[in-house]
Amino acid sequence: MRLVIDQDRCKGCNLCTLVCPYRIFLPGKTLNRKGVVVPELDRPERCTNCRLQKLYGRTLCGLCVMICPDQAIRWEEEEPHEPHKVAIEY
Amino acid sequence: MSYQDWFRQDRLPHIYCSGCGNGTVINCTLMAVDELGWKEEETVFVSGIGCSSRASGYIVTDSLHTTHGRALPFATGVKLSNPDLNVVVFTGDGDLAAIGGNHFIHACRRNIDLTVICMNNQIYGMTGGQGSPTTPAGALSTTTPYGSSEPAFDLSELAVAAGANFVARWTSYHVKELTRAIGAGMRTPGLSFIETMTQCPTNYGRRNKLRQVTDQVEFMKNHTALRQKLDRMRESGQKVPTDIIAIGEFVRRDRPAMGVRR
Ligand SMILES: Cc1ncc(C[n+]2csc(CCOP(=O)(O)OP(=O)(O)O)c2C)c(N)n1
Ligand code: SF4
Ligand code: SF4
Ligand code: SF4
Repeated sequence: MRLVIDQDRCKGCNLCTLVCPYRIFLPGKTLNRKGVVVPELDRPERCTNCRLQKLYGRTLCGLCVMICPDQAIRWEEEEPHEPHKVAIEY
Repeated sequence: MSYQDWFRQDRLPHIYCSGCGNGTVINCTLMAVDELGWKEEETVFVSGIGCSSRASGYIVTDSLHTTHGRALPFATGVKLSNPDLNVVVFTGDGDLAAIGGNHFIHACRRNIDLTVICMNNQIYGMTGGQGSPTTPAGALSTTTPYGSSEPAFDLSELAVAAGANFVARWTSYHVKELTRAIGAGMRTPGLSFIETMTQCPTNYGRRNKLRQVTDQVEFMKNHTALRQKLDRMRESGQKVPTDIIAIGEFVRRDRPAMGVRR
């Protein structure tokens, strides 16, 4: 699965940058076409849910999706599945 | 189904300001509803007036957006006329504790089988930042320009004293715990009161030295502690700072309730 931020819904509050244990969300630097500074994703393939949702058959973590007040974060299915090489530093 | 299916997608994005905690509370509520497997046609959301009260309008089920302070009387009517419905009330601190204060204590006393979710942002958000009964002492608002000099209401303690069957308080930072508490409240017969401390960056944070949304959420994270922990500190004679808010489950009991599904 792939992590995406909906450019039309995000209002740039940066709450997602506060909760992700992997710090995948970084405060953005440029305005998008709606005039919002949307956070940037740093190697989003590290997201627990993207990696392991299929294996466990349930949503894992999901903190960013829950806290996002504007329902702007979601996971998208990848078709066909694109394998990622994931390096996680502890 | 996922919680996203409970949203009226045609109405999103909602009108809340950037970073307003109300959106997070709606997410948590809909996730709890989704986990319980409630049916859309058996669920009703009722709310009064205020930013928080606009929540019911973004949900696909039938909803009532009523008059200021009167969400609980409307919800009581819905529930008592058809106890088979699941009734959830969204309300703000001004809506519930100021103009609707009497309805609140009597709904708790009657212990009607409702789930009441109060988004307590400690201010009147919609009308431009006037002080509410929960504005903390010393906080600035348009009606307390030198800092509030009144003591604030503790809504959860009020609900416990008035007789609600389930009472819990969390914040919009504690999303997992909040979702679990809302689910537990929905399963408990009788009135369940879930208070969520939320951020209002536009009218509260901006006036009270919490300029960024994240500052206000960090503040909530650092100024809350589990109720049990605070009790233990008090027992052992330690001093508890006055600005720490108690969070967690306050009560879960089995008083006789009204309007429970037959
Ligand atoms: C009878 C009546 N009195 C006053 C108002 C004006 N009014 C609208 S919203 C509001 C305050 C809402 O505050 P709160 O319930 O805390 O919700 P918030 O906007 O902070 O989420 C007031 C006083 C009204 N709409 N109706
Ligand atoms: S689900 Fe968890 S790990 Fe994945 S991006 Fe969101 S907060 Fe980070
Ligand atoms: S929490 Fe949601 S609205 Fe806020 S910056 Fe992140 S994606 Fe955007
Ligand atoms: S005024 Fe406050 S409560 Fe109302 S939408 Fe804005 S941030 Fe939220």
